[in-house]
Amino acid sequence: MRAIDHHAWTNRWRCWHPAEKLLPASGLLVLTLILPPLTTAPLVLAGMALATVRGAGVPLPTLLSVLAAPTAFLLAGIPFLAVSVDFTHGFALLPSQDGLRLALTMTIRALAAMSCLAFLILTTPVTDWVASLRRVGVPSGVVELSLLTYRLIFVFVERALTGHQAQAARLGYSRVDRSVRSLGLLAGNLFQRSLAQAHRLEIGLAARGYTGELRVLTPKRVLSRMRLVVGLGLVGLVGTAGSLLARGLS
Amino acid sequence: MTAPLLAAHGLEYVYPGGVTALRGLDLSIERGQKLAILGSNGSGKTTLLLHLNGTCKPTRGEIRLDGQPGRYERRALNHWRRRVGLVLQEPDDQLFAATVGQDVSFGPLNLGLSEPETAERVREALAALRVAHLADRATHALSFGQKKRVAIAGVLAMRPEILVLDEPTAGLDPHGVTHLLGALQQLHDAGTTLVFSTHDVELAYAWADRVAVFHDGMVLCQGETAAVLGDRELLHRARLRPPLLLQVAEVLGAGRNWTVPPPRSREAVLELLRERLGQPLSAGPVEPMLAHSRHGPLA
Repeated sequence: MRAIDHHAWTNRWRCWHPAEKLLPASGLLVLTLILPPLTTAPLVLAGMALATVRGAGVPLPTLLSVLAAPTAFLLAGIPFLAVSVDFTHGFALLPSQDGLRLALTMTIRALAAMSCLAFLILTTPVTDWVASLRRVGVPSGVVELSLLTYRLIFVFVERALTGHQAQAARLGYSRVDRSVRSLGLLAGNLFQRSLAQAHRLEIGLAARGYTGELRVLTPKRVLSRMRLVVGLGLVGLVGTAGSLLARGLS
Repeated sequence: MTAPLLAAHGLEYVYPGGVTALRGLDLSIERGQKLAILGSNGSGKTTLLLHLNGTCKPTRGEIRLDGQPGRYERRALNHWRRRVGLVLQEPDDQLFAATVGQDVSFGPLNLGLSEPETAERVREALAALRVAHLADRATHALSFGQKKRVAIAGVLAMRPEILVLDEPTAGLDPHGVTHLLGALQQLHDAGTTLVFSTHDVELAYAWADRVAVFHDGMVLCQGETAAVLGDRELLHRARLRPPLLLQVAEVLGAGRNWTVPPPRSREAVLELLRERLGQPLSAGPVEPMLAHSRHGPLA
């Protein structure tokens, strides 16, 4: 999660308007779902990977690690789709043509769809999405709360990690029973500290004139028509190539 | 005589649990001062600072702003906090927004400024603390020293007359301290009154105009830095030690009448030492940090 967040904040396309990234990603996602997957999905996967790695400058290993977890689940599911159980002559496991095909299309389609989402989360920080929510009319209270939560998650995770390290340094996790006990103590401690932190944050905010509204200056992102057209062009290109190739193959 | 900018009279504070934190203390802060509130850990310094911007309401006694008793209804408090900016010791207690620029914009927007004016204040405050390059960074990706400066910028953007800082140098490395004090000195030169709490006598000696020695909920003494920090008996009572520089200077200057105040910078004391040892002034190493710093004693 930290790696994703880090690249979302530091990639080359971070200051683009979120819509410029949302348009190609969602366009390609739709293509993956409606067009024949065997030809379209690899093109989508390649296009999104290129945009993420070459375009936005996110390192390839990071992209791969983001895709790795869902891929592992997909691969684990393949045997169940590709093999059919035959009871006609006792019990037999048979590879099935249809099952194999299904497994292949499902895997490639899911991977392509994942690459679209990976592109979005690796190139755009959470705050940009939340700011867009405000623009489309989500109440400001909800927006403020989610931004505050986002900020405090990092404070909390840091406390949790250092607390865990401190316990481990005093052998708090050297046996299973001790681990359970240490974890319980840590959770209780974090709860108390979070309450204290909330109280101090209130003092800090009040010192800066807080009166119940967490208003901040959101940087204006200028929508570039050129980038929108390029994004749309990419979607069109992949769509045409995908369907032409599919027709050629069949 | 005009009333001090900010003053505490007979300030007493008892925590809801019944623990007494302040025991009837007096303190006065004049315009343009650099005042150090010097006290050991747990002496109640933070509680005192929380009174200075109206966060805590005294059990007895009062805070006066320009001679007027502080009032605690919302409008009066807003006005009060506009004039007295408070920076907490732990920056994570104060930084709430996801990016640096957004966080600093919070105060000015609460003052009712327009967006362009706010953007201007944000630029100005970040530049004053020398963190303009961090404006678009995620708050959680900053180092401790950077967070500290951004937290100060967030208060500075409201252009307070008095900036109150709780342990501003705690947790910073020597370079970070030099950097921060350089920025604070510029603010002071531009007319901001500075009040800071610390347990570091060396810092107070080198940097403050005036010192208030605080112990066990009381201000034992408030006065000119060299005079207060030269009083060993007083410091001992407050569980503090006299600053090393002053002690060395006193030893070197023994038998001599100080026509000028004793030297307060590390360089000046070193020069005095070389003079006494009969070595040429140019000999001896000059530390690189000192050579670059406007505030040599702390480097």
